[in-house]
Amino acid sequence: METKTKSRVLQEFQEASKTLMNPALKKEKDKGAKIIGYFCSYGPAEIITAAGMIPFRIRAIGSTGTDLSDAYLSNINCSFCRNALNMGLAGEYDFLDGLIVLNNCDHVRRIYDNWRRKIKTPLVQMVSLPKKISDPSIQWYYDEMKIVKKAIEDKFNVKITDDKLREAIKLHNETRRLQRKLYDLRKKDNPPITGADTLAVMVAATALPLKQYNQMLKELIDDLSKSEGVGKAKARLLVIGGVLDDPEYIKVIESTGGLVVTDVLCYGTKNFRAEIDEKMKDPIAALAKYYIADRPSCPRMFGDQLRRAQLVKDLVKEFKVDGVIGQRIVFCDLWAGEIYMLNDDLKEAGIPFLKLDREYIMAGAGQVRTRVQAFIESMGR
Amino acid sequence: MSKVDKAILDKQLERLRGDKTLLQAFVDVLSMDPSEEADINRFVLKTVMDKYDEIMNCAENDIPFMAAYFANCPEIFTAMDVPWWIFLQTPFLGVSSPFLASDTDETEKMGLATDFCTVLRLAMFYVEKNLTPKPAGLIALLHPCDGTVVIHQAIGKTKAWHDVPVFGADSPYWDDERTYKYYGEETKRMVDFVTQCTGKKLDIDRLREVCKISNQTYQLWADYNDLRKAVPCPHDWTIGPPQCFALACYYYPGKIEAVDWFKKLVANAEKRVKAGTGMAAGERIRALWFDILPIMWQFDISPWLEQEWGVNIVMNMFGYTPYEPIDTKNETTMFRGLAKRSLSQVPMIRQARGVADNFLGDIERIVKDYKIDCVIWPGHMGHKDGNASIGMMREKCRELGVPFLSIGLDLFDKRYTAIDEVKDRISKFFQASGLGQKK
Repeated sequence: METKTKSRVLQEFQEASKTLMNPALKKEKDKGAKIIGYFCSYGPAEIITAAGMIPFRIRAIGSTGTDLSDAYLSNINCSFCRNALNMGLAGEYDFLDGLIVLNNCDHVRRIYDNWRRKIKTPLVQMVSLPKKISDPSIQWYYDEMKIVKKAIEDKFNVKITDDKLREAIKLHNETRRLQRKLYDLRKKDNPPITGADTLAVMVAATALPLKQYNQMLKELIDDLSKSEGVGKAKARLLVIGGVLDDPEYIKVIESTGGLVVTDVLCYGTKNFRAEIDEKMKDPIAALAKYYIADRPSCPRMFGDQLRRAQLVKDLVKEFKVDGVIGQRIVFCDLWAGEIYMLNDDLKEAGIPFLKLDREYIMAGAGQVRTRVQAFIESMGR
Repeated sequence: MSKVDKAILDKQLERLRGDKTLLQAFVDVLSMDPSEEADINRFVLKTVMDKYDEIMNCAENDIPFMAAYFANCPEIFTAMDVPWWIFLQTPFLGVSSPFLASDTDETEKMGLATDFCTVLRLAMFYVEKNLTPKPAGLIALLHPCDGTVVIHQAIGKTKAWHDVPVFGADSPYWDDERTYKYYGEETKRMVDFVTQCTGKKLDIDRLREVCKISNQTYQLWADYNDLRKAVPCPHDWTIGPPQCFALACYYYPGKIEAVDWFKKLVANAEKRVKAGTGMAAGERIRALWFDILPIMWQFDISPWLEQEWGVNIVMNMFGYTPYEPIDTKNETTMFRGLAKRSLSQVPMIRQARGVADNFLGDIERIVKDYKIDCVIWPGHMGHKDGNASIGMMREKCRELGVPFLSIGLDLFDKRYTAIDEVKDRISKFFQASGLGQKK
């Protein structure tokens, strides 16, 4: 199965997902634009945009090894972090003017400590992300957002006004609405785009200048709306799990005849399921509320597992999903626990569930293919 | 109580009774030793057994008790007169070795990833299989690691404990006044939760008295740690840091029993320092073991280290924490002090929760203050944050001029890295870093 639309923008999205420095980003950088990296989808991309800078989510795509980071992280640390730090140490992230790290997990939070000691990024800022969803934790994150805002203002001598923040929120919300439209197309019996290509589109949102991205995505949606479907899938699949930014992984899953029609990923559904309230008087308060309370949460958010499981079940209905694949990067405790809990929830709901452990860098494609094939067969497809 | 209930209760108490039998054997052995040190240790073991008795009594007589942690401001439980315990005490103490390995194997059948911290997997196993008494409420620990955040969510979903109310105090990442204020407020919510679960209320005057006793305990702990700086160190691996932690932070937080015990410990250490007689035979290498040290590993490693290499583990992560007294002026100052203690001072939490500065700062202070010859990071498989700090630790040790060893093991499952392999790695490390030959 493949996406039938041969649109130029789809190719550009695919290219952007395969590299760190894409042509559009390079063009902006050459013109003097500042680029601020961030390590997690809880990162306040809107504040970076409001500062007139380009938010760039850290990936380790193209990493060729961990020779440099092995001196700092152990072999029981997540391979995403090991590869990302390696790229930082190798100078591949020298194009960053700043980096925002959150304490989202035990591996990533130590990237902050290692990065600020070893890599000369002009601004390296840590954000303390709460682990509960409550009014006090929203207030805590509000204060953290203000601290980040001030750090960017002080470092780069810019003023991030409320008006600029509102404008940035509108721009990011527009992205969310467009992405939702893209996903809506996948609800069709014969969706016009594969899961692998969708992931490329979603990853590109974190690596391209956003205005340009939105324009491109509008074009793509127009093309796909007129396009024929990818073909009859053996099974409609939903993928959940930790950081997954490599469309090749989805391609391997789809090489079995299954089609990934939706996901609960931090490059996917989690980003657009909710929107930031544009009517709130204080834009930072709107950001805090969105990130802590409104957006689908990560397993690190204590006490919200029922809501997370419900989202999976809702999406199974909305997208007519036959089976769920839970993928986890080895040594990720958060997703180990979440998948363990979800296993019972899905069993109770009668939804087939396949658990896959993986490394960040695509390896063992044959094994993944075999397991997905067997999973699809077990569903009688 | 019905027969069925009794059968369930017996199952829930099976591991506790097993542990008690083993502990009694240790007490019996120590009873043959007339030394002051044996007496000091006997008290600790009896204290552990008393805790088992207290919880078993609660379970047998329907007295509400809480499952909580040493980093949940335990002085509050003392002030509220609420029985509580760390339900993963069994694997943590490692006293249950006859069934620890088979229990660990059983955890694999649950479907929880095997790279998930073994002690937390075991805790989940004990709950899921009804091998631990059911509390009136569970206070989750949302720090220092990811494992604790998810395991308490998972425990709340088990058949056995699905009706046990759960509360977690949200812990920020920083070590500043804003953090302590926030966590102090969270702690007040925890008090409300404990009241809902047990019907007991917090009296602020009583809390003040408890905090005052707790401050005395911590002052004595600091005095003791100062005495351990002496060369030779007054005590060997059998007595010191783990016991101090256990009594101050868990068994007797804010209780006079801890003060009395610490006084004896300090007096004993003082006597030894004055006489220049350390307990370790021929202390030649003063080591910092920078992680937790469960009892069963101590028996495997520590005597060997002492006898073969002349190593004395002068300090470990659980024995060292620069405490400050809780200001007992009013409710606000007490909650602020308790919050600070729970986030920035209590062992392991202090080092593992926030940015790596505490981690590295402690290594530096301990190496300098305790005249440390080498730092050993065991690299427990559950401590992902610490294992992401090995480069920083190595560089810090290089800067301090002390050799550093990272092993990589499972402190709760000796099969992960076999004891012989651990010993081999340590031996090669000592030889390669010029710390001498075997005795």
